[in-house]
Amino acid sequence: MINNIKKLVKDFSLSELRSGMKITAKELINKKITVQFPEERTPISPRFRGLHALRRYPNGEERCIACKLCEAVCPANAITIESEMREDGTRRTTQYDIDLFKCIFCGFCEEACPVDAIVETQIFDYAFVGSRDGSIIDKAHLLEIGNKNEKMINKAKLEDAKYR
Amino acid sequence: MIEIEINGNVVNAQVGEMLIAVTDREGISVPRFCYHKKLSVAANCRMCLVDVEGAPKPQPACSTPVNEGMKVHTQNERAKASQQAVMEFLLINHPLDCPICDQGGECELQDVAMGYGSDVSRFNEGKRVVNDSDIGPLIQTDMTRCIHCTRCVRFGAEIGGIMEMGGTGRGEDLKIEPFLAEGIQSELSGNMIDVCPVGALTSKPFRYELRTWQMNSVSNIARHDLTGSNIYTQTYKGKVKRIVAKDNENVNETWISDRDRFSYEGLAHKNRLLIPQIKVEDRWQEVEWKVALDFAVRGLVNNALNTRQANKLGALASNTATLEEFHLLQKLLREVGSENIDYRLNVKDLNNAITLESNIKLAELESIDHALIIASNPRLEQPMINHRLRKASLSGASIDVVNVMAFDFNYRLNSENIIAPNRTVLILAEVLKSILQTADAEIPEFLSVIKVSDVAKILADNLVNAGNSVIVLGEHIINNPQASSIAQLINKIAQQTNSTTLNISATANSMAGALTKFIPGKGGLDANAMLATDLKATILLDVYPQFDFHNAVQAIEALSNKDNFVISLNSFKDEAIAQYSDVMLPIASFYETSGSHINIEGEVQSFSASVGAPSKAKPAWKVLKVLADLLELPGFHFANSTQVASEISNQSHKQEEDDKNIDTTVKQGVNVIWQKSPYAMDVLSRHANSLQATKIGKMHSASMNKATAKTLELSAGEQYLGVPVLISESVADYCVFVNANQSTGSKS
Repeated sequence: MINNIKKLVKDFSLSELRSGMKITAKELINKKITVQFPEERTPISPRFRGLHALRRYPNGEERCIACKLCEAVCPANAITIESEMREDGTRRTTQYDIDLFKCIFCGFCEEACPVDAIVETQIFDYAFVGSRDGSIIDKAHLLEIGNKNEKMINKAKLEDAKYR
Repeated sequence: MIEIEINGNVVNAQVGEMLIAVTDREGISVPRFCYHKKLSVAANCRMCLVDVEGAPKPQPACSTPVNEGMKVHTQNERAKASQQAVMEFLLINHPLDCPICDQGGECELQDVAMGYGSDVSRFNEGKRVVNDSDIGPLIQTDMTRCIHCTRCVRFGAEIGGIMEMGGTGRGEDLKIEPFLAEGIQSELSGNMIDVCPVGALTSKPFRYELRTWQMNSVSNIARHDLTGSNIYTQTYKGKVKRIVAKDNENVNETWISDRDRFSYEGLAHKNRLLIPQIKVEDRWQEVEWKVALDFAVRGLVNNALNTRQANKLGALASNTATLEEFHLLQKLLREVGSENIDYRLNVKDLNNAITLESNIKLAELESIDHALIIASNPRLEQPMINHRLRKASLSGASIDVVNVMAFDFNYRLNSENIIAPNRTVLILAEVLKSILQTADAEIPEFLSVIKVSDVAKILADNLVNAGNSVIVLGEHIINNPQASSIAQLINKIAQQTNSTTLNISATANSMAGALTKFIPGKGGLDANAMLATDLKATILLDVYPQFDFHNAVQAIEALSNKDNFVISLNSFKDEAIAQYSDVMLPIASFYETSGSHINIEGEVQSFSASVGAPSKAKPAWKVLKVLADLLELPGFHFANSTQVASEISNQSHKQEEDDKNIDTTVKQGVNVIWQKSPYAMDVLSRHANSLQATKIGKMHSASMNKATAKTLELSAGEQYLGVPVLISESVADYCVFVNANQSTGSKS
């Protein structure tokens, strides 16, 4: 009985509406935290493990020496490498494929790499549409990602270096 | 037998045994680099230092003989400290290029460094760098990685028989390098790759192809020679990528010849026959197996079987076929009523058969006191048999040779007799007479006119005086018109002197051909007779006439006869086959089929397929079985090759009784000995590019001396029967010794 009366008073005095409006009013003047993706981005840890890339040395030579340690360590068997002797006698890959459907983004490949060739960048907004093949990124694609994002990769690695 | 104590456990040991042999037997791991069970002890890597109680310093286990009551610790503080110190020194100059090193993953240094190395290097100075030299098409060098264990040097000196690698310089400047600019030429050189504990010597054809952990190792048998060396074929994604030796003390110990090791390259050659083809109106069509087999069977039935002319059907097989293939093909032929079967394609006169049994085991060859080698260059033709002979020679056996020219033996010969092939029979008759004279035995009539020469007397005395002797008859004899007489004389000499005999005149899997009676039966035609008559149908099993027949031109001509329906089962294609065949059926090559090989001592070694046959090729035993099924022949219900093998009776092929006359007359004229060069013996080796690029692979010459060249009006470099002339005074007068690695038509 007494509870029913309490509820009636609360309902007719619009107290819930008022407390809601109070928050709205407060947020109207507060600083905004919404990020306008993709124009705006949240900060990302330098250790973030996103899309893979193959890096080059500053002189333009590709780093990867086809040691296949990433292939060996990959727990999801997502990496496929074929190697050969390039004309100049160095050991190089002829094929370097990562299957992004299989990849679990554990970062072991990056850990295993003796020449810091394969890295996981901070890129996460990639998408592949259409066939199954779209999920497999090949060597040319990986090198291109590396070329485009070398600055970002370099910065992230430098930031993280002091903790390693 | 004495007792010693290792790590607190009492173990038994032989007096004089090295400590490391005991620990290896007991399964106690002691790290080592320079020690190898088949090589002499060098004790220069110092990795195997162990603590021996009472010794002032840690002792190397590889060169410390055991003593009664010795107390050894392999894992205590002192041993570990010294092992770690040695490891640190070894790693000072070793580059950190494991990621690009082909040895990575199977590297002894890597393994031992994991167990005994430190995780941080204290060495901040510059590392040593050593320039590489090109040492040939088989071995890749990265001498910066060398840790100076000298296993390769000792291998060359002790096993290979020529010290091709050696150490030059001292201390920091010590380099292991080949002495000659031509690089490594040994026929066993590939074993250096196996003995090298680091990545200094690696396989050149395999360079940078795969990491070792990516491959599966499958046991197999090498079918290139009479040894049947045990090997591991290492495969990746259905392709053979590398071959390494498998230990078998009774067969190949730990070594294999380069031919066994590198021939796999041929499997991926572009000349492989991959799809069944039939010839319709002189044009080749690629068809399905079913169509090709139906076409083949129709041809067989129409040309030979329906017209009740089974005797017009013949089958020839190459000597590299497996036991099962030989058996099925001869069974097929005999079921349809034909006895025209043969595998002896390169013999000119098959009535002149060599009836000589081998009655010595490979391992027993090491312990002989004396050997008489006739008409053979075992080093290149049968490398593993030669290795055993070399071991015998090193432990004191005297070895006499009767050859047409001086070959490069890698052991000391007691005497080397350069004798023309037409005089071989005479010298053996002289030897026999001399032996009989020494024994005061009755001299048979055919020897009565023979006059014993000094050379023969010495050869005879050596055989008589030796306690344990062997007579080796080699390949150069097969086309000697007196081969049969020579074999009979050897039999008689062996009987008189209690010698054993070793017949290495027919190579590859010829023993299996003989066992399965892949030779014409009663009323059947042999290989030469088949080519001389007009056959209506022929089945060829992996035959390459340009190389396999003693007279290629005549053979191709005979096979090309329009009325002859030729079914070719081949693993490789070439122009000649396309010319005469009506059907080409692609078959699996070495390592792609299951089967059995029989080696010189009669040991049947079975193997399963390491990889599947490429594209549409099928194992030959399956093709033959299906052919028989399509011909509705009974008794071909085999599900696998093991069932085929178990059907083959274990009765060894009985040699015919010696009832032929021994002909000791010397036939006049220029003697030609025609040999395929050692790396052109079988089709797979011929397609292995790296093998062909070696000095042995390039052997292509007709050796003769100046006098012979003058008689034949030839000079060096000119062509003799399509082979360039090489003037060498080590050839007997009026003899030509040909080593051909290309097909050159007529050989006689």
